[in-house]
Order: sequence, then C-alpha cells, then structure tokens
Amino acid sequence: MQILKVENVSKIYGTKRNSNKYTALRNISFEVNQGDFIGVMGASGSGKTTLLNILGSLDKPTTGNYIMNGQNIGDLQRNQLAKHRMENIGFIFQDYNLLETMTLKENIILPLSLMGMDAKTIEAKLAKLAGDLGIVPVIDKYPYEVSGGEQQRAAACRALINNPKMILADEPTGNLDSKSGKDLLNLLSFINTEYKTTILMVTHDVFAASYCQKILFIRDGEIYNELYAGSDKKHFFDSIIDVMSMLGGERK
Amino acid sequence: MNLLTLALRNIRLNRKKYIMYVFSMGFSIFTVYTFLALMQNNYVKMAFQFDTRYTMILTSFGVIILVFVLFFLISSNNSFIRARKKEISTYSLFGMTNLRIGKLLFLETMLVGTATLAIGIGAGIFFSKLMAMFLLDLCLTNFVGDISFTIDPMAMVVTALLFLIIFCMMGLSALRVIYQFELVDLFKADKISEGKQKGSVAVLILSLILITSGYILASINNSMVVVLGAIPILILVISGTYLFFWGGLPKVLGLIKRNKRVYYGGVNLISVSAVSHRMKSIASVMATIAVLSAVAATAIATGFTLYSNAERNTYSNIGFDLVYYGEKVALQDEMHGVFETNHVNINRKDIVELNEVDPKTESIMIRERKHLSDEDSFRVYSETKYNSLIMASKNNLESVQIPSGKAYYIFPFSQEGIEDAMLGLELDFQDSAVQIMKVIRSNVPGFGLDHTLILNDRDYEVLVRSNEITPSQMNGRTLTATVITYEAALSNKKLNNELEEALTGKVERYRTAYSLYNESMETFGLICFIGFFMSGVFILMTASLLYFKQVMAAEEERHQYKMLRRIGMEDKTERQVIQKRLLPVFFIPLAIGIIHSIFAMKTADTIIFSNMIPVENSYLSVLGFSTVMYLAYAVVYGVFYLITKSQYGRLVRNESH
Ligand SMILES: Nc1ncnc2c1ncn2[C@@H]1O[C@H](COP(=O)(O)OP(=O)(O)O)[C@@H](O)[C@H]1O
Ligand SMILES: [Mg+2]
Repeated sequence: MQILKVENVSKIYGTKRNSNKYTALRNISFEVNQGDFIGVMGASGSGKTTLLNILGSLDKPTTGNYIMNGQNIGDLQRNQLAKHRMENIGFIFQDYNLLETMTLKENIILPLSLMGMDAKTIEAKLAKLAGDLGIVPVIDKYPYEVSGGEQQRAAACRALINNPKMILADEPTGNLDSKSGKDLLNLLSFINTEYKTTILMVTHDVFAASYCQKILFIRDGEIYNELYAGSDKKHFFDSIIDVMSMLGGERK
Repeated sequence: MNLLTLALRNIRLNRKKYIMYVFSMGFSIFTVYTFLALMQNNYVKMAFQFDTRYTMILTSFGVIILVFVLFFLISSNNSFIRARKKEISTYSLFGMTNLRIGKLLFLETMLVGTATLAIGIGAGIFFSKLMAMFLLDLCLTNFVGDISFTIDPMAMVVTALLFLIIFCMMGLSALRVIYQFELVDLFKADKISEGKQKGSVAVLILSLILITSGYILASINNSMVVVLGAIPILILVISGTYLFFWGGLPKVLGLIKRNKRVYYGGVNLISVSAVSHRMKSIASVMATIAVLSAVAATAIATGFTLYSNAERNTYSNIGFDLVYYGEKVALQDEMHGVFETNHVNINRKDIVELNEVDPKTESIMIRERKHLSDEDSFRVYSETKYNSLIMASKNNLESVQIPSGKAYYIFPFSQEGIEDAMLGLELDFQDSAVQIMKVIRSNVPGFGLDHTLILNDRDYEVLVRSNEITPSQMNGRTLTATVITYEAALSNKKLNNELEEALTGKVERYRTAYSLYNESMETFGLICFIGFFMSGVFILMTASLLYFKQVMAAEEERHQYKMLRRIGMEDKTERQVIQKRLLPVFFIPLAIGIIHSIFAMKTADTIIFSNMIPVENSYLSVLGFSTVMYLAYAVVYGVFYLITKSQYGRLVRNESH
C-alpha cells in the first residue's frame, strides 16, 4: 500500500530578491509503500536534510506536491501541520533533540501528553515500548546523565510512542560509536518488521545504509540512482560502495 | 584585534541583549539616584531632623536598596554572561585566556555601564520630578509639604561612584562565572542542568513551620509582645521564605510531578519540568523578591492607611472643627464676624457644660502602673447629654442607652488591659453605687479629664441634687466648652488663621480640627510619600529583574521550543507552555510577599492603627486600605509579566539564530 507520494518537489533557498538563490532540491519524485525501510544517501550538501525536512513538513517545498495517505500536505494550515506531525510522523535527529529539562521517560511520553492522553494509557504504552527498546534501566535519568546511544534510543522511543505511520531519521547514527550505532540500526529494523512502521533514513554511512531495503541516492538535489537490497547482503553492500564512490561521497 | 575594538564589536553584535541589559540596569541607577536625591531634599532633611525614627527608617531603606541593587546587578550580569556562554567558550577555544576574556567582558560592562549610568541618572532627574508631582498632586492632594526635586550634583556624584564600584564587583563575579565554564560546554551547548533541586519534605515542612510561627507571633494582640518580637518575627519569616524557595518549592514541584494525572497533561509536563530545571538559579531571586515585596507592600499599605485615616483620626481625636473653653459674649460676636466675612456657614454650635464627679473607688493598677485612684475625678454626662454631644460631633461614636445603676466608662487611650480592669468596677456615691458595664475609647467627651462616665438620666439627676455632680471650675469660674462644626473645615486655611487670631489670648484653650489635621497630614503625608516612593522603586526594580532573568533564559531555552514544534506542538499549546513557564516566577513571589504583608499589617495594626482608627475591628479597615495597594502592586507585576511574556515568546519563536 502506498503511503507517500512525492511529485516534482523542488526547493530553492533564498527566494527573496537580491539574495542569491540556491537550488537545494530539483524535481524530486518517488513513492514510498507502507512498511518500507528506505535509505537516502548522498554527499554532504546534496540536499538530504532538506528533503527530509520537507517530508516531515518542517519546511515547505518551493514547488511540487507530496501526498501522504491521500492528503496533500501542502494544503494544510500551520496548526493542521502540527497535528499532522504529531499524529503521523516520528522524528529521530542526529543530535537526539531531547529536552534536557526532562528525564528520558518524560521526553518519551511528551508527544502523548501533548495529545492529551490520560496517564494510565500513557504508562501502558510506555511500559511496552521501553521494554522492547531496552531503555528501562535508564528511563528516569536526565539526557546528560546517559550515553549518546541511550539518548538516541530514547529519541527513537519518543518517535515511536504515538504509533506514527512513518519515521524520519536524519543521520541517526552520525553521533554514535559503532557499537551503539549497530544497536540502533538493529532497533530500527526491529521496529520496521515488528510494528510495520515505514522508515526513511538519511545516512552517509554505508554500513547503516545496508540495513535498508531500498536506497535513494541524491546528487546536487536530484535523484541520481536507486538500489534495492537483494537476497545477497554482501552484494548490496558492495553496490552501495560503488555508487557512493561515483557520487564522491565519503566512505566509512 | 585589540580589546577595545573587540568590545565595541561585541556590544554591536549583542545589541539586542544589551538593550535589555541597559533597560533593567537603568532601573537600579535610577532608583539609587532618586533615593539619594530624596535624601538630599531640603524638606525631607528638615522633616527628619526632628525625628530620628524616620532617619533610621530611611537609612535602613537605603541599605536594603543598596544590597538589592548589588544582588540584582550581579545576578543579572551572571545570567547575561551565561546567555553568551557559546560566544565566550569560542574565545576560549581560540586560545584566549580566561583573564583576558574577563577583561574583555569588564570593558564591555564599563562601556555599556557608563552609558547606562548617564541614562539612569537622566531618567532619575526627569522621573523623580514627575513622580513627586504625580504622587503629590494625585495621591497626596492634602499633603502640604514641599517636596520638589532639583538636579542634585551631590546625588549624581555619589550614584556614579557607587556604580563604578558595583561594576568592579560585577567584573569580579563575572570572572568567577567564566572560570566555571568548561570548554566542553561549548559542545554540549546548554545541555547541562544549572542544578536541579530535589528539595525535601523536611525542608518544606520546616519552612512552613517557620513562616507560620512568625505569623502567629505577628498576630498576637499585645503591642508590647509584638514590638519585642519584631526581630524574631522577621528572622522566622525571612528564613522560612528562603528555605521555602530553596527546598520547599522544588519539593512541591516534585509532588506535582508525582501526580501523574496532572503532570502528564502536555503543557504541565513541559512547564513544570522547565521551572524545576531553573529552580536553583531562580530560587534565591524569588525568595529575595518575596521578602522585598513584603517590605514594599507593607510600607505602601502602612503609608496609605495612615494617610487615608488622617481625617477620621482627626475627628476621633477632637470631634469638632473648633473647640474652645470659656465663653464671653463679646467673643461670640467676633467669631460670628469671622465666619461671615469668610462666607462660611456654621453647621452647628453647642455650648457644653462640663461637670465632674468624684466617687469612691478602689485603686486600679494596670501593668504596674496606676490607672485609677480614689483621688481621680470623672467627667460625667447623663445619657441624654452625652447622646446630644456626640450627635453634634463629627466623630462616629454611637449613642448609648444605660440602665439604672450602670455606667459607661470612656478613656482616651487604648491600652492593653483597661477593659478587663474596668469592667464590672463599682463606683460608690453617698447613697448609691453604679457599676461599669462597658468601656469605650474616645478622646472627645473628656475635655481635659482622662476618665469619663455616662450615667442613666435618673441616676444623674439624683447625684446632681445631692451635689455630688458639680460643675467644673477654672480660675474661679465654671468651665464650659464651645464646640462648633462648620463647612470645609479641613481645607480653609484663611478662616483657620483668622479664627486662631481671634481666639488667642481670649480663651483658656482652643483646638481646631484644621491644625490637628494638617499636623498629622505633614507627618503621615511624608511617611506615605516615602512609602509610595520606595515601594514604587522596589516594585519596578524587582519586576525588571524578573523580566531580565526570564528574557535571558529564553535565549537558552529557545532550542527546546524549536524541538517541541518539530514534534508537533501547536501554537496554542506553545502559548500555554510559555504562560505556565513564566506565571509562577512572577506570581509566587508576589503572592508570598502579599501574604507576608497581610500579617505585617496585623502587627502594624496592633502597634499603631488600633489606637488610631476608632472602629470596632480596625484590622479589617486596615486590610481594606492595604488591598487597594496590593492590587496596585499586582497590576504593575501583571504589566511586567505581559511584557516579559511577549518578549520571551518572540525570542523563542525566532527560529533563525
Ligand atoms: N536555510 C537554508 N538557507 C540557504 N541554504 C540552505 C539552507 N539549508 C540548507 N541550505 C543549503 O542547501 C544545500 C543542501 O543542504 P542539506 O539538505 O542540509 O544537505 P545535506 O545533504 O548535507 O543534509 C546545502 O548546500 C546548504 O548549504
Ligand atoms: Mg544533513
């Protein structure tokens, strides 16, 4: 089932007169189906974050449409957008973006409590998810008291707690050491298979990308190539490295 | 780049923050200048020469202001530096030593400080005039003293010197803050808590016990005890307040957190955690402001109550507009002439025959002091005579009805224990006796004697016939009092002067309500003026401190709001979060300050007002007047809250930066 359809999306920065324009995205079109785990790769500055921000309705495309669940997101008002984000999308950012004034637990339940859910339901949802994601031991600590990996897991937990249709992750492993990174990727795979959540993950780490089912490569704001994971993991990995080297992207 | 250019560049780059800095620091300079100018004012100087009590009050006000200004400036300077943490850590990253950074910041402070000094003193010169005019013309219309502010070079120099010293201390304190920064802070940005405060139930309970026992002491109805207890009361309440903010309030927040039904409501979750996150850095500020608000609210309420009751107090003291003893026919005509040439109508004129009686009685001791002995004479009235006397007066005493064999006792001063001692006392005459059934406090009917009795009409007749009640004598003549009420008595200076001229030397003694009123106006007006003035200054200073602290905090909290919007917080929710985040910071200190003040007014009532305000329950009336001032206080805070809210909102919504 199709969940997201992107049609000819472009983004031009600096549209105000007398400032120099910069085209960050150029006529991007693609589709995403329910349950997909898609990677977005490209060199630094190629427009990956811009694309993800648009898909998450944090930013508006200059031209083009994107349709989620049959709803053209461009038509929504500011507050409807906020609601849309709250109900349909979970974000995971490179620098976690947890509120330092709150414990991990409070951070995780924040979306639910903003939705006005009652305390009992919140607790029930939290208990299940926190168990699955393995953060129960640190749940009452503050972000600065735990490791990056744990913070990112809490962020993932927060992204998942309201059962979003889609998770948008912008270089989620970028700040993590390889062990925590691997844990997080396993976690995302688990979420993807267990909860059937659609995931879009921006990364420039080949190892991270190899967890995806499909990879979109972006160069200079355009889709340059697509790759599908076959049954052969090793082959998939090598193909990614090939494309990346053609793109001039860094390897890890 | 040398330090000066760097400093100037920094000021330019940080000008938005610096504008707020100037705004709130300007208040302190303004305050100090105006206070010093007030102290230098000739009228104030003269008025205070005679009464060392006022000098003491004013000096202690000065000390409080200074301590607070120091606290205020250092505190806002430190949060200013904290808001620039990133910038400062960057310098340090590029190899600038802490000392050099400190020098740079000191230079900035000096540059901006000097400019602010000029602005503050300028504002002081301008607004002190305006404020004095406003207070005198609008609030204290009856105040006759002349408080005009002039440009005062002495005050200017002292203010400037004082602030240069304060700037130096700020520089040192800033250096301390800089040394506390770690380079990693740059990378962690604002992720590290300023120190959560868990609080504890013990501290919460202890603080409440301290405050409550202070309140209980303050509420004791015995002026001696209260005066002696003033210092312990202050210590109890102030230490209780600080403990409450340091350890009690965090616990209260903790308890809210435990109530999941309340806490998990999205807005509460965000704002309660944000407030408790800031608790450590704001607790002392809030406690100080609560204490200062209490002082200011009490000062303002006391002044206003004194002032508002001056008229009532005058008439409760004298009862009529003009009282004089002795009556000559020639004088009669002269007096009428004075009223006529001034076109003033006499409302009523009565001639009161003054009688006295000397019953046998036991001696009464109150607190080891002789209150009444057998030698004392009583001024005496029949029920009817008394009722017509108070009908004529502007006093609000009530008419009486006395059964045979009973008497009312009236005494001019209020003192602990009189009522207990006098109630039920037997006064023996030759063939009869009366028993005191009620004690009233009033100055009016005594006419020179301390003790006054009112008797049943028939009892009175009997005593007159037995020659026990006799007319009072003075210089061999029977004494009468002439009591007059007339129009606009408290405001007609010319009439009063002419009346006094006409009476001087011709009667035994006279008193006018006008003189009495204006005497008390002069003292109360001045107290009231200083109360208003100082409170106004305190309010503005404390409120601007809160404003500055919160706006600086907005700088640090901005990314949180950005994140919240990312996960789908609506604008409406954001407004609620901001409201709940800021409201407690303004409201809690104000509320606690006002509650403190309510009890302080109870003490003031016991010591001063209950003697002054001749109503059954003077405290209620005092509270009435105080409430007006509390409301004014709350309105000013409300305005500052709204300004802060809009500024804070603008800052956290501003995504670029
Ligand atoms: N707010 C902005 N204004 C102007 N240009 C921007 C803005 N955000 C990003 N860009 C530019 O758009 C390009 C794509 O950025 P981004 O999507 O962040 O790249 P990346 O693939 O590294 O995430 C970059 O060249 C960047 O400089
Ligand atoms: Mg990026």
